[in-house]
Amino acid sequence: MTALVSHLKLLEAESIHIFREAAAQFRTPVLLYSIGKDSTVLLHLARKAFWPARPPFPLLHIDTTWKFRDMIAFRDKTAREFGLDLIVHTNHDGLARGINPFDHPPSVYTDIMKTQALRAALDAGGFDAAFGGARRDEEASRAKERVFSFRAAGHRWEPRRQRPEMWTLLNGRLGKGETVRVFPLSNWTEGDVWRYIALEKLDVVPLYFAAPRPVVTRDGQLIMVDDERMRLEPGETPELRNIRFRTLGCWPLTAAVESEASNIDAVVDEVLRAKYSERAGRLIDHDQAGAMEMKKREGYF
Amino acid sequence: MHVAALREKIAVVPAAAPASSPAPESGAIVRLLTCGSVDDGKSTLIGRLLWDSAAVSEDQRAAVMHASQNRALNGEKVDFSLLLDGLQAEREQGITIDIAWRYFETARRRFVIIDAPGHEQYTRNMATGASHADVAILLVDARHGVKRQTRRHAAICNLVGIKKVILAVNKMDLIDWSEQTFRAIEEEFRVLAGNFAFAQIAAIPLAALPGDNVVRRSSVMPWYSGPTLLDYLEAVDANVEPRDAAFRFPVQLVLRHGDFRGYAGTVASGRIRPGDRLVDARTGLGASVRSITTMDGDLAFAAKGDAVAIELDSDLDISRGAVLSEVVRRPINADVLEARLVWLAEAPFDPESGYLLRTATDLTPVTSMSISALVDFETLASAPAHACAVNDIADCRILLGRPTSLDLFSELPATGNFVLVSAVDGTTVAGGVITWAQSGAAALGDNVFVLDRELLARGLCSDLGNSPADIAEFHRRAQEAAILLRSVGIPVLIEI
Ligand SMILES: Nc1nc2c(ncn2[C@@H]2O[C@H](COP(=O)(O)OP(=O)(O)O)[C@@H](O)[C@H]2O)c(=O)[nH]1
Repeated sequence: MTALVSHLKLLEAESIHIFREAAAQFRTPVLLYSIGKDSTVLLHLARKAFWPARPPFPLLHIDTTWKFRDMIAFRDKTAREFGLDLIVHTNHDGLARGINPFDHPPSVYTDIMKTQALRAALDAGGFDAAFGGARRDEEASRAKERVFSFRAAGHRWEPRRQRPEMWTLLNGRLGKGETVRVFPLSNWTEGDVWRYIALEKLDVVPLYFAAPRPVVTRDGQLIMVDDERMRLEPGETPELRNIRFRTLGCWPLTAAVESEASNIDAVVDEVLRAKYSERAGRLIDHDQAGAMEMKKREGYF
Repeated sequence: MHVAALREKIAVVPAAAPASSPAPESGAIVRLLTCGSVDDGKSTLIGRLLWDSAAVSEDQRAAVMHASQNRALNGEKVDFSLLLDGLQAEREQGITIDIAWRYFETARRRFVIIDAPGHEQYTRNMATGASHADVAILLVDARHGVKRQTRRHAAICNLVGIKKVILAVNKMDLIDWSEQTFRAIEEEFRVLAGNFAFAQIAAIPLAALPGDNVVRRSSVMPWYSGPTLLDYLEAVDANVEPRDAAFRFPVQLVLRHGDFRGYAGTVASGRIRPGDRLVDARTGLGASVRSITTMDGDLAFAAKGDAVAIELDSDLDISRGAVLSEVVRRPINADVLEARLVWLAEAPFDPESGYLLRTATDLTPVTSMSISALVDFETLASAPAHACAVNDIADCRILLGRPTSLDLFSELPATGNFVLVSAVDGTTVAGGVITWAQSGAAALGDNVFVLDRELLARGLCSDLGNSPADIAEFHRRAQEAAILLRSVGIPVLIEI
């Protein structure tokens, strides 16, 4: 184990406080469960917040149908184990139109299969608040994000209309047509998330740990071949490399890193010595400068 | 010191914390507000702190180096301020307008940097940021010393309850590292700080650009023997709560599961153990703690900051908004209060508009509210007023539709602060601290004196018409009369 775990209990208490405030103030919250490490921590904190009762909201997963197979297995096991309601939503219209990450630019694919799908699922469920695992340390435009992040009608995020948050007081009174994204992990860093997973001995998707897996190299990025839908370019042959993932998303768009970190302690160690900031491994972010902020305005996280 | 060497020193350390770590009760996380005027060097200082304490990843380093070269800044190699970019609009305008949160850690401690803009038109942003901080860095340019803005920043820090401040005297290189000038600035600041309730003031001479006394001890100011900025931050006791603080537990919600019925919340101050007697100040009913429940098992005690569920031995029938407290030192069951607030909304205060008072977990309708004075934080003078608008600091009186449990901010900050919410669109319009509060008429039974509109219009307010200013004055006088009557023990209800 590494040093500095004493602050994790403070972060935990703060997150529990946020969960409880949101559950008390909103009528129909939902937890956006994306299966990754942040969602794992988020869910664990939700369970702590309402213990011995169960979290009073369902989980929502936006399934693009391109998630790693290990992720889907982990998702279903988790929901079963904790006895939670799981809503899985897919943009079937997008599927029918043949939208996929090979033929369409990442920005188009992501907009249709993730952003639009999320908006549709939130509207369909009539959810007035959605818990998400976003952290302020992830990316520059998130450094200013609120804990209760208000969305105007149509899920639009308007930076100038965000409410000031003073002390630990959280004002969740909704204006007309407004909904809220709630970020209990706002003050966590990637290092905190991993140290907490280690401290609490939480199960995560095995893809976070290094193992020999079939990959190809494209534009300097390692892409894992997760199923037969992979489109190999002429001359490309998958080779076995020792890899792991720092973030998990749609497999054709998520780059792996070469690593020997095959257990939690090694991962914590690697993360704390990190040479690359986390989102470098997510191809969708290279599209344009300020990409995340654009996506947020459109209703993606 | 070479960056790589620092990285070794700081990034990863073995299981046992270094002997020099601060005691756990002094706070495992230090939340740090940085304030200064434009060009004092705030961005450079924060950038330097992150850069030298190894909190910058390799790709960020490379990006900053690259951008610095592109800009070819007057011969400087690295523009540390580039580490702090933000929202697109702000990048274009070249100024920081919102609050940015940054995280870094050393082997000893975890830090949160809250970066807020300093200009007067962003007073609200600064107050908002400051409300989250344990420690404030007040940055001044050594060539200019304490400015009017420094006064305002100190006053805002004081308003929201910051107890520890660091006076960072920057750009010492531009005044030939002069001890005399530094001492003069320090002295001027200590005089200013005499107006405030700070518990600790540290003055540090530094130069952010070359990095003197930020992380690396300066070799050109041998006359300064105090800590570097990072030394100070790693050692400061961030916990300001007195050891015997009164117990407060604002109830967030009630958890039910089978036979279990627990009150969920975060301890706002003090500590409790199973068996302790607690009371709900609103009803005066009491019960004993049966258990302090968490998913990790029952606890032997809970202290400030712990998020737990409390089971009582008898049902008090309370819900969200109640504050469980110890029996002797209870919160005030108040329906009239005075407060100092910072107005946050673009729309000015409107006495005819509906507001709600959001305290720790309660939301109480405001029956009437009036502004009594505006405070000028640069001169620290206050002047009578009835109106207040965005960025104003004002003193006000608030009458509530029903009593709620609260404390004076100076005694118990966590249950003595509030935000004011618009009943119309839900927005947060102001944030404030309670300076005076009193149990009002409602709790006292039948023998209540009613101040109604007619009574007031005939007498005390007969000179007033229907203009907004007159209506505000009408409310103010009504409350003033009520306060005078209450202070001699007559229960009063205002019905206007
Ligand atoms: N000579 C000198 N210049 C400094 C120092 N710190 C900052 N500066 C310069 O002061 C100017 C303003 O700094 P910046 O960090 O952008 O200020 P901010 O507006 O307060 O964020 C820049 O040109 C910096 O290079 C210092 O210690 N010495």
